Amino acid sequence: MIQKEKLLLIIQREYLTRLKSKIFIVSTILAPVVMILLLVLPAVIQTMSGDRVRQFLVFDETGVVGQELVASDSVYYQLTEINPDSLRQSLMLGEMEGYLVVPHELLDGKGSAMFYHGGTAGMTVTSRIRSDVQRVVRDIRLDRLDTPAEVRQILTDRVETENLTITPEGEEAADSDFYMILGFIMGFIIYGAMFGYGAVIMRSVMEEKTSRIVEVVASSVRPFELLVGKVTGVAMLGLTQFVIWAAAGAVLMFAAGPVIALFIGTGPQGAETAAADVAVTAEAASFSIPAIGPMIWISFVLFFLLGFLIYSSLFAAVGSAVDQESDSQQLQLPIIMLIIIPLMFLFPVSDDPASRLAVTLSMIPFFAPILMPVRMAVLQIPFWQFGVTILIMVLTFTLLMWMSARIYRTGILMYGKKATFRELWRWMREN
Amino acid sequence: MSDSIVRFKGVTKKFGDTKAVNDVSFEVGKGRIFGLLGPNGAGKTTSIRMLTYILKPDTGIITVFGTPTGPETQARLGYLPEERGLYKKMKVGEQLVYLARLRGLSREDARKRIRYWLERFGAYEWIGQEVGELSKGMQQKIQFVATIAHDPDCLIFDEPFSGLDPINSEMLKDVILELRDAGKTIFFATHRMEQVEQICDDIALFNKGRLILNGELDKIRSSYGLNSIRLRFTGDNRFLSELKNVRINNKSTNFAELRLLEGADDQAILQQAQSHVRVRGFELVQPSIQEIFIDTVSRETPS
Repeated sequence: MIQKEKLLLIIQREYLTRLKSKIFIVSTILAPVVMILLLVLPAVIQTMSGDRVRQFLVFDETGVVGQELVASDSVYYQLTEINPDSLRQSLMLGEMEGYLVVPHELLDGKGSAMFYHGGTAGMTVTSRIRSDVQRVVRDIRLDRLDTPAEVRQILTDRVETENLTITPEGEEAADSDFYMILGFIMGFIIYGAMFGYGAVIMRSVMEEKTSRIVEVVASSVRPFELLVGKVTGVAMLGLTQFVIWAAAGAVLMFAAGPVIALFIGTGPQGAETAAADVAVTAEAASFSIPAIGPMIWISFVLFFLLGFLIYSSLFAAVGSAVDQESDSQQLQLPIIMLIIIPLMFLFPVSDDPASRLAVTLSMIPFFAPILMPVRMAVLQIPFWQFGVTILIMVLTFTLLMWMSARIYRTGILMYGKKATFRELWRWMREN
Repeated sequence: MSDSIVRFKGVTKKFGDTKAVNDVSFEVGKGRIFGLLGPNGAGKTTSIRMLTYILKPDTGIITVFGTPTGPETQARLGYLPEERGLYKKMKVGEQLVYLARLRGLSREDARKRIRYWLERFGAYEWIGQEVGELSKGMQQKIQFVATIAHDPDCLIFDEPFSGLDPINSEMLKDVILELRDAGKTIFFATHRMEQVEQICDDIALFNKGRLILNGELDKIRSSYGLNSIRLRFTGDNRFLSELKNVRINNKSTNFAELRLLEGADDQAILQQAQSHVRVRGFELVQPSIQEIFIDTVSRETPS
């Protein structure tokens, strides 16, 4: 059999045995579920913790502010005649959660309302009280000046600024925020995939080494072919997983339109009139995510693949150098650092994707797999940057694969001791 | 040997500064069982890895069926590494077919041969099970099938009996002899010398990377003559340490193997023994491989 057929055989085994494995099936199903849970859970927890009745006493010197507060929410606020000193005493005794003192001069635009609590108020409560007091005092002061309704409208009106991108071809794309989030999500998925599949490669190399099966295989094919076959098989596995997710996502999106409409329809506006409901539902039914251009998809797949190749060659070298997973920590550390560094720059880069920092970082081959898709989602980057980065990554991969294959070739036959960086260097230089 | 299957010619392999294999030359004939012997670290495994083309020699040349080692020669070898393993998560059948196909068999041929050997070992019912679910003894059988399934002309076993239970050991020995009779050449590396005597036709003794003795086992042993004593007795064995001009190679409560050194007299030893214990057996024999090894090493490295 010619060597190419053997390589195909190896790729086939690496791909198929993993495709059929429980881990692959479970992770394919579980990863999106976990992601959705992470998005939904905080909201669920919020509503669950909201069931506690909270009440605050208001000692009002103005005679009007307190009434207005109670009028806005009679459970939350309760007027009190007890003087602040006694209130203080009873707060200290733990008889109540907190109380609010509204001084005279507040209506003259001076001083401030004082909110006392036993340290248990929390962010939601304090910010709510702050905004309630602000609104009530403002309204009363406007009333006193007989402010016309038009002026009040101006004060409460929200002025929107729409966010549009114009590409050099003159195309307009709305919703930059959406693309920024998209970039983030893609960066994170690539990060997770490089880590996850890199570890798969490392563990697989280690397993073959410790079970000595590698010697049987190496007496049939060159170790390099085994390594290439393994990396290719796992890369295909990764792409398969993405395709499954993308397909499932598309189906969900298609099916979810009406569901989302339902949600928005019965949302906070649920109390409004039926007519308004219908309008909202109609709006939601036409709700759709902005188009994700082919360039974004291509760059996502391309940067995942190249990133995976670069990191998996490093992980393979580590796997071949140790006998057990616990020994791999030290050798893995530099790789993990390289993967994590771009995460720290995720925000500055997406915040100003054309800055010199962003351009430079995103062209470093180890950071590019995470940072370049983030930039490309938000911005149409100059083609030379894209091309040069791809080129640098291909060169980096070639060099690393060459180095790694040399370490691998020696490492898989070394048993019983854990290699140091110095030894890896020596193996690499030996022929 | 005109029909030599494997030939090492001036083969050297260095790791760093140490010569794992140092200028080794030997030939192995067709249908022979060839024992590679020596203590751990003598260069046996490195020699095998060069033979299987996992490693390349630094200098010298290795030929298999007259062809220098390479991908083509790999397909004609079957290799059972020392501490063996298989893919634990793969099914027995799939795994064996995969390994046989890597060695160049077509899928159909691989299936046929694997079926034959699995049936032969009474293991066919496991074909759909994952290897990790099998007992150690079963895994050893599977591993053995993996080594021979592609019908190689030359088989290499590195410590094949280590960890085998007695039943599998016996079975393996039978199969090895059967393969030899079918004209296969068999390499057999071990540091347990006593196994060699039962099974090998030729031996190569390795020590510290060098080949220190090579040839037909019977010839080597007869060249030493009847220079050893096998003694069986009942009684206190302390007298053994008082014997002069002998080397005690094997000592237990009622048995001893003695090598006669220069100036030793077998009859004097017999008398001495009789004065201390009841002698049940006394026999002049050829030296054991163990003895030959020690003898050769001590001559190589004058102390």
